[in-house]
Amino acid sequence: MPSITLNQVRKSYGDIKAADGLELEVLDGEYLCILGPTGSGKTTLLRLVCGLTLPDSGAVLLDGKDITRWEPEDRGAVMLSQTYSLFPHMTVAENVLFGPDLRGMPDADQKHLLADMLDIVRLSSRADALPKELSGGMMQRTALARALASGTEILLLDEPLRALDARLRINLRHELRSLAKTLGLTTVHVTHDQEEALVMADRIAVLRYGRIVQVGTPGEIFDNPNSPFVANFVGQSNFFTGKVEAKAGNTTVRLSDGRAVHARACQFPIGQEVVVGIKVGNTDISKEEAGPLKGRIERILFEGKFLFIDVQVPGVGLISSKVPSWRMGKLAVGDDVNVHWAWEKATVFPLPANGLAEELRVD
Amino acid sequence: MPEVRLEGLGKTYGKVVAVGGVDLVIRDKEYVTILGPSGCGKTTLIRMIAGIIEPSHGKVFLRGKDMRGVPIEDRGIGYVFQNIALFPNLNAAQNVAYSSRARGADKGVQEKVAREHLKLVKLLDRMAMFPDEMSGGEQQKVALARALASGSDLLLLDEPLSALDARVRVDLRYELRRLTKALGLTVVHVTHDQEEAMTVSDRIVLMRAGTIVEAGSPEELYSQPKHLFTANFIGESNFLEGWVREKVDSLTRIEIREGSTIEVLGSTLEPGDPVVISVRPEFIYPFTTGLRSKVTSSIYMGTYWRIKATTEGDDEMNFDVPITDGHLYQIGQDIYLMVNKRAAVLFPRPREGVEEAISLE
Amino acid sequence: MSYTVTDWDLIQKYVFDDPATVQLIQDAIVASFEIAAIVVVIDIITGLPMAWILVRKQFRGKQFLDTLIDMPLAVPTAALGFSAAIFWAVSKPSAEAPWFAVGEISSPFILVLLLHVIFSYPYMVRSLAAILEQIDQTYETAGQTLGASKLTAARTITLPLFRAGLVTGIILAMARSLSETGGTMIALATMANSQGFQTGPSLIGTLKSGLALNPDLAAPLAFISILLIALSLVLLVALKLVVMKVRLPAGRVWPKWEKILSRGIAPKLKDGFSGAFLIIIVLIPSFFIFAYVFTATASQGDWQTFWESLANSFIIAGVVTLVDIFLGIPLALYIARNKKGRLPQFLDVMVNIPLIVPTAALGYSLGIFWGGAPFISAIPFLLVIFAHIAFTYPLVVRNVEGAVEEVDAAYEDTARTLGARRLQTFRKVLFPMIKASVLAGAIMAFTRSLGETGATIAVAGTSVNTAPVYIVELINGEQFYMAALTCIVLIVVSFAFMLALRLVTRKRRAG
Repeated sequence: MPSITLNQVRKSYGDIKAADGLELEVLDGEYLCILGPTGSGKTTLLRLVCGLTLPDSGAVLLDGKDITRWEPEDRGAVMLSQTYSLFPHMTVAENVLFGPDLRGMPDADQKHLLADMLDIVRLSSRADALPKELSGGMMQRTALARALASGTEILLLDEPLRALDARLRINLRHELRSLAKTLGLTTVHVTHDQEEALVMADRIAVLRYGRIVQVGTPGEIFDNPNSPFVANFVGQSNFFTGKVEAKAGNTTVRLSDGRAVHARACQFPIGQEVVVGIKVGNTDISKEEAGPLKGRIERILFEGKFLFIDVQVPGVGLISSKVPSWRMGKLAVGDDVNVHWAWEKATVFPLPANGLAEELRVD
Repeated sequence: MPEVRLEGLGKTYGKVVAVGGVDLVIRDKEYVTILGPSGCGKTTLIRMIAGIIEPSHGKVFLRGKDMRGVPIEDRGIGYVFQNIALFPNLNAAQNVAYSSRARGADKGVQEKVAREHLKLVKLLDRMAMFPDEMSGGEQQKVALARALASGSDLLLLDEPLSALDARVRVDLRYELRRLTKALGLTVVHVTHDQEEAMTVSDRIVLMRAGTIVEAGSPEELYSQPKHLFTANFIGESNFLEGWVREKVDSLTRIEIREGSTIEVLGSTLEPGDPVVISVRPEFIYPFTTGLRSKVTSSIYMGTYWRIKATTEGDDEMNFDVPITDGHLYQIGQDIYLMVNKRAAVLFPRPREGVEEAISLE
Repeated sequence: MSYTVTDWDLIQKYVFDDPATVQLIQDAIVASFEIAAIVVVIDIITGLPMAWILVRKQFRGKQFLDTLIDMPLAVPTAALGFSAAIFWAVSKPSAEAPWFAVGEISSPFILVLLLHVIFSYPYMVRSLAAILEQIDQTYETAGQTLGASKLTAARTITLPLFRAGLVTGIILAMARSLSETGGTMIALATMANSQGFQTGPSLIGTLKSGLALNPDLAAPLAFISILLIALSLVLLVALKLVVMKVRLPAGRVWPKWEKILSRGIAPKLKDGFSGAFLIIIVLIPSFFIFAYVFTATASQGDWQTFWESLANSFIIAGVVTLVDIFLGIPLALYIARNKKGRLPQFLDVMVNIPLIVPTAALGYSLGIFWGGAPFISAIPFLLVIFAHIAFTYPLVVRNVEGAVEEVDAAYEDTARTLGARRLQTFRKVLFPMIKASVLAGAIMAFTRSLGETGATIAVAGTSVNTAPVYIVELINGEQFYMAALTCIVLIVVSFAFMLALRLVTRKRRAG
């Protein structure tokens, strides 16, 4: 049963380190999302797994077997490119049967397989259509059927939803994941969309500059980010810089303008310069409840389920907050509010060596 | 004085109707988003406003003037393209200064214009960089600065964020709105991303198959959609089919199935009418009574759980439970779901079927 | 080229010690380069608006215009030479030019110039259109939304992006002009008085023809061949450097004037002029030969030799095309899929060198080179095939290379991960997608070989009788009517062949 392991895999193009010591294990039957900004080496990682790119050093293992130098066609890991790469001169049926045909499967078996595959992806009526006659969603389903028909147990998806409309993307997330799960495939899904990763993944690996920054379940990545970058990339965060003042169950951080904020316990010594990060969605504002920071509402944007509110806090700057939209009538621009959060949701990070702004860059 | 007025504006290619007779007024300093799925004609529409595409019929008025026969360069617009389209042979400053150069301004003026506008988008330090040396987000900000530098008070944005990473997109939405509001611009923004539309707009115009479905503020379209298509396209919704059984005072009682009813506040529909109820995931609650359902999955969304459950009638229900509730749902668990009667919206059941009425493709 | 090294003293003796020969060679070469330069300038000025129309405008009959532009490509230059000369020049009385021909040009220089414009024009238009196609039109539109008029936007944005493509167009057109032998020789022979005018390649052709009678001509022949090759290469390098370095004066903008030129009558005049140029200068002279055969007095000729020559031409072109395809595709694949490597980049340049070297000089050089090999030199037919491969091979490689680059590598990658081996991937995925371009390359190579005169004569004298060589002989013998008939048969057969090829491709695609 397929599990994939990357061992200290490195790959450079000139000065650019596309893979800088990748260390990752994808478990059997797992749906793993590789999440990172453009240029972080996501696609390189996929290509290393399926053998289209050979590493400069390090090893790629399949079920513990070293396959680093194997040809792509011998690995049995199918890649789906962003645009699905359906062969334009073949019909849906011919595309789906591409793999079985190569292996010389008898015609009768091919016919059965085709019927099964088209049934799974709900395209039985479009078997004779050419790719250009299909909608984006149908193209994706055809590509999936083609991958499944090749008998693969490993699916490598390179931004499979990027080419689709935003609204359609949301519908297809669920469909894609449940298909992979039902068929027991081991899936590596590359994306730049943190919401997509949260919704779809069993585990998320956050990638930046060719290195894996953090691996964990969506919950771990969202609630326990190990760096300001992850905290900001996966769901936006507010950040405060200050010095550790007290540690007693939680951490008290004294901001430069004298106010104190609270966060989870940390190992940093008292007096160390730190950054406190709190998710926008976990930052609450209210007129009644007291909070460490006071400010004035500068802007309220209605985003459907939530309101996105900017609060100008003198001495600190703009703080953003996401609150349920039923509070719409109760808050208005110009209102004085207190900003507060549950300290269990706030994380303390060491001050990044290259500066906070650089650390938070998302592109 | 209205800034943009479209009268019966349409475009046909042979027999294909790309845009069919659109009437729309965009007010001075208003931020309007044209939203819709691929192929709904939104891009054709904005290109007709800009003069890039010649309309087949109808008129475009800018600042009250009929634009027929007026070439692109004389319409006084700023335009930001989906593929960014920064001139690759010019650096950031030269790109931004292009409009003043095209007017024959001298070098000094050009430099000043470039500085001023790059400063607006906080990219002064990128002045000498060429497009291929900048990140996608930076490129799009320079493109925005370039459009602003033309001095126009009317900005047309053609899917300005769709080429960018999701996370960069989120940051730029806020930036875009802040900047255009600060400068007091009239903006027409085309997008297929309903989240983006809600965040940036004063008003959203939802299009489908070449015509306007409905227009309104983000809040109106989200909370009181007039069409089933809107309810599905803007934000997510659960749809339940049934019949109006009775109306009691201000309540309308809908029968979903034999013995299974939902109450909804107000409606003009009469008993016996076939209806569709649309409810947002945040307005469905697990309760002690209600629709009997089985939990099929729960997904961690950071600040809430997205729970999927199947009703006895085999309808799939999505609902959200705040993390702070601290309550966990097990797959296979039986629950009862209540619908917030204030937040549910009723539609007459479409003849072509719900599936078809909300179809995105 | 080895000839120069061993026999320098011969060159010294027969060339430098003979002022008349030096003068002859010098005049021919100067004329060649002058003509090539002027031709390129005319091609750019008239080809650019035409390329613009083809790429940026949508109108009915665009397909038709597209085909019209390619038509001169299908006509062998030998036939073009005769047709153009009859149309434009004061021709020999025995040629019996029809009364409605222009028949006014008495300067051989201008006649050759007009002839070279005809067959280099399609190359220029095609190259320019290809680059224009790659430049996103959004750039111009963006310029316009920023207040620039159409002309300003095109001039300040599109043209600077054009530069690299311009080089290709210039080199191709120039090389075609510098190379052309058969058409030039025929046109000159058709004139009433060609005043002993020669271009470099036509001089090579003439010298080679006379070589059998006078072995002393070998030295000047070698010398002029080497000179032509060397000068062409120098020119190529110089062009690349100059065009890439020189900044076009695109800085200033004159909003008012450019606006006036962008609208109303000016653009219409420009388009009208482009169309008129295409018809009057390019198309009518190309096909004037059809009018000619109806007015001239019929005469009988040696049909046996004619059919033989035609068969020879087709066998050579066929073999050459097959070899080009089988050797060209692998190289094209390698270059296109490894664009960043040093070796592929080097190969890319190397493959294109035969394109810019005058074919007559190339042919002579190859003749000398293979002349050392006992087996091959015994069969002039083989020599001709080798020579033709040399200058048609790049056409196939370029075409296929371009097509492969267009195809997203993701298709092949995906096929590999689906279990296809390299060869299977090529056969089942890539080849069907580039088939059309392979055929286009093949057609180009085929027609180019069919029409080639210079290289054939230079490599084998008149011992291998191909159709164009036969036409040259007929004209020299003043058998104009027979020559015209031969030209027409050649044209018709070329067209028929191209049509058949297109039909075959279409059917295959539909199946």
